[in-house]
Amino acid sequence: MFEIGKGVFVDELRNVSIRIKEIEEEEILEEVGPTPKPGILELRKWDHKLLERYEPFYAPVQDFCNLCTMGPCDLSFNKKGACGIDLRTAKARLVTIACCIGSASHTAHARHIVDHLIEQLGEDFPIDLGGEVNIKAPIIKTVIGIEPKTLGDLRKALEWVEKEIVKVLHSTHIGNEESYIDYESKSMHVSMADHVGMEVADIAQIVAFNFPKAEPNTPLVPTGFGIIDRSKPVIVVVGHNVMYSRPIVEVLEKQGKIDAFEIAGLCCTAHDIVRTNSKAKIFGPISYQLRVIRAGIPDVVVSDEQCIRADLLEACKKLGIPLIATSDAAARGLPDANDWSVEKIVESLISGKLPGVFLSDPEKVGIVAPIVAEAIFNKNGKNRKYRFFASDDEFRAEVSKCTQCMNCVFACPHNLRVDLGMAAAKRGEIRKLASLEEQCLACGKCEQVCPKNIKIINAIMFANFEKLYNKTGRTRVGRGPIQDTEIRKVGQPIVFGQIPGVIAAVGCINFPDEMKSIREILEEFLRRKFIVVTSGCHAMEIGMIKDEEGLTLYEKYPGLFDAGGLVNVGSCVANSHIAGAAIKIANIFAQRKLRGNYAEIADYILNRVGAVGFSWGPYSHKAASIATGFNRLGVPVVVGPHGVKYRRAYIGKPWKREKWWVYDIKSRQKVFIEPAPDCLLVAVETKEEAIVQLARLCIRPNDTAQGRQIKLTHYIELHKKYYGDLPDDWHLYVRTESDLPLKMREELLKVLEEVHGWKIDWNRRKILEGPIRSYDAGFNPTIVEEVYEKYVR
Amino acid sequence: MAVEHFPTARRYSVADIQVSREAVAAKPKVIANIIKKAKRPLLITGGQLLKDEKLVEIARKFAEKGIQIAATAGSSKVLIEKGVKPVCKTYTLHQITQFLLDDEFKGFDGKGKYDVVIFLGFIPYYLSRMLSALKHFSDVTTIAIEEFYHPHANFSFTNLTKDKEMYYSMLEEVLKEYG
Repeated sequence: MFEIGKGVFVDELRNVSIRIKEIEEEEILEEVGPTPKPGILELRKWDHKLLERYEPFYAPVQDFCNLCTMGPCDLSFNKKGACGIDLRTAKARLVTIACCIGSASHTAHARHIVDHLIEQLGEDFPIDLGGEVNIKAPIIKTVIGIEPKTLGDLRKALEWVEKEIVKVLHSTHIGNEESYIDYESKSMHVSMADHVGMEVADIAQIVAFNFPKAEPNTPLVPTGFGIIDRSKPVIVVVGHNVMYSRPIVEVLEKQGKIDAFEIAGLCCTAHDIVRTNSKAKIFGPISYQLRVIRAGIPDVVVSDEQCIRADLLEACKKLGIPLIATSDAAARGLPDANDWSVEKIVESLISGKLPGVFLSDPEKVGIVAPIVAEAIFNKNGKNRKYRFFASDDEFRAEVSKCTQCMNCVFACPHNLRVDLGMAAAKRGEIRKLASLEEQCLACGKCEQVCPKNIKIINAIMFANFEKLYNKTGRTRVGRGPIQDTEIRKVGQPIVFGQIPGVIAAVGCINFPDEMKSIREILEEFLRRKFIVVTSGCHAMEIGMIKDEEGLTLYEKYPGLFDAGGLVNVGSCVANSHIAGAAIKIANIFAQRKLRGNYAEIADYILNRVGAVGFSWGPYSHKAASIATGFNRLGVPVVVGPHGVKYRRAYIGKPWKREKWWVYDIKSRQKVFIEPAPDCLLVAVETKEEAIVQLARLCIRPNDTAQGRQIKLTHYIELHKKYYGDLPDDWHLYVRTESDLPLKMREELLKVLEEVHGWKIDWNRRKILEGPIRSYDAGFNPTIVEEVYEKYVR
Repeated sequence: MAVEHFPTARRYSVADIQVSREAVAAKPKVIANIIKKAKRPLLITGGQLLKDEKLVEIARKFAEKGIQIAATAGSSKVLIEKGVKPVCKTYTLHQITQFLLDDEFKGFDGKGKYDVVIFLGFIPYYLSRMLSALKHFSDVTTIAIEEFYHPHANFSFTNLTKDKEMYYSMLEEVLKEYG
């Protein structure tokens, strides 16, 4: 083969083949910024800027490192181990590993889907997210610098993500990184890659599976434990990749049998199965897995990947529920049935010869699952659903075995007083035991340590059965992206502060309090006209908690991305649309260019977009990478108390004045600013604390006086309501008297003078002296030197 | 009457199995003496005060004896209602712990570093992590006067989970011995 080189003249094209590697797009809409396809180092400077201000905080879970054979090493009191790593750096490494796992999970999901779809539809299959979404992939565009138009383009983005995950994971090998700050930079890098992976996955499934495309008013679907019609066979899908179970719905629709079956999901596959077809239903999050299985509800379970109990097969086996495992991430020791005939698979499962099969061919899953479900339903006499115990006597006999040893209390992640509940139940009083259901994760650790092998979960569920059964409501189906037109409308009020903030409630259900607490927290913000966005387990938990009138939040608040709106974007991977919305604000409202321009966009968001992530019950590695990805993008995240077990947080010190500065492009000065926001990742203990922290972390340096006034009003009101007094730090956020809440202006001016020693001109009601800085409507903050240089005139 | 016999300190999952240095399971008198000797003691209260009035009462008595209180998680509200003026109301335990880890932190009143910090009324797994951070990365003396034993503290009550009355009487005894 002859390759054309520079200056080579070819006069005859016989026996010449021409290899064209890649054609650059002719239509280049935007010039590429400084960091397209960044490696580990390209955004390191940005990370170090963040970490200088938001210092990493480490709370080791173990004092030892057990990762290599030179150990175990006692690293307590920041000692070094055999490899030379100290405790702080070892913990930073561990968090980096967690973020790698989280990132790999979403990315593998994306890889499975994209490869499958390209095989089916071809790599030129277009990306169409509806007429209102022109910026289709804001994260990919900002990070990688391309604007994907086809499935093939998504695969290119995926290749970059996979490369970066491998590089960061490599850095966690023994004998690599020495600096905890650089590990943090790497965890931020791989978590940013996670956001790209999520965006790829969700865009691919939206376009290929015809999910809702940014429609605010998607259907409401039944959600909760008691959603199932007992008289129908039940197919339960569980996990995070709907690719494998979606054909079940298609097959049943085609056969006209969809109404003869119940199809309901657990975890994010539930979100995505209802995005496929709103006749499907949502049981709930991971904590509902044992609730649903032990109640004998499923006639067949189809599992895919992530956040599925590692004892799913065992749990199903005990009740004779066949399991179809579909993802190579969790083959569960089952025989590979992909080459078997449908008849052979069905017969093996119905007869009970096999407790389950591994079947990764989605089309075959679609055929097999309904047949098996119907047969098992009939085999069980159609009447075993919703039973934790055969009778009241059986329940009483079970609880009477309790010896009050308290092993369960010490094993429980929440230290729930199971002993007290059991003691009361023994006496015939089940209220105490029943109340535990509201907080029980149904993790089963209590049963592992019970010397009497009491079925504790069953007992708790049985005790609260009626309430549990009736804890059913409706969830608005995940809509996917936010429309460009919505961003156009809210961009300015968010940046100027008139919309007081965007609260993004995402993540798992390891709540420290009763499940209804999530509703109480979010409704406080909905009533106050914040924008509330949600996804994943939080989004489905909201769908099962009703108020006194029997309404869920979805039924009370519209699905618009606007003040007072409650937006469910969808499953875990749909979190990318929340980050995408923040990015789109910088682009659509402020005309900041996105392509390969990550640091500038993140800097814009940090200083201007009052968005705060909230994960009330985080537990997964994916939650770690999602949060860390938001942090690199300049979005602070508040987590519930279990979040401290991630071991690392990013917490600033507001009392260190030298840490809080920006370059003001307008005045060409380095300006000391108020500590806003003062944390990037922080845990709270109670719902009261969550509410107050979320409100205060919405404050941004760029707020206009009107915007700051609105934000301070909410912050001060909430602090007074839940903490009983003015905040300790409210004065730090006051730049001018116009920042003060109107109704409290007089009172607050007095406090500023008397308590904080500020000088006030009482004739004009003006602040003369005291604030960290004065207010300037043209204030144009950045902490990135290159951005300053770019825009300064 | 002083509590003479109490249960053995017991490690449990959420408070860590692998611990290099365990807290001394201390009697109330010992704890009172440590606080007495402290130059700048600080009591930090947590969200359990919102659920347990007795803890509010105990915190109020500490305040009466001149010990500064940093109230977290909304516990300021119930304390303020009892006439207590916490030196800090807004920051989370997570943030306060970050401050305590910094030698440059001069306290909420700016008068100097706290040398002994007492914890009351927290979710066990949350407090456990904060005590771990303080154990490894600071020289602050930590005392957990909680219902659960806290291995990461310097000094801790033992597990009193089974007997709440004993827990309360031990708290009262600390106050009595403190004088």
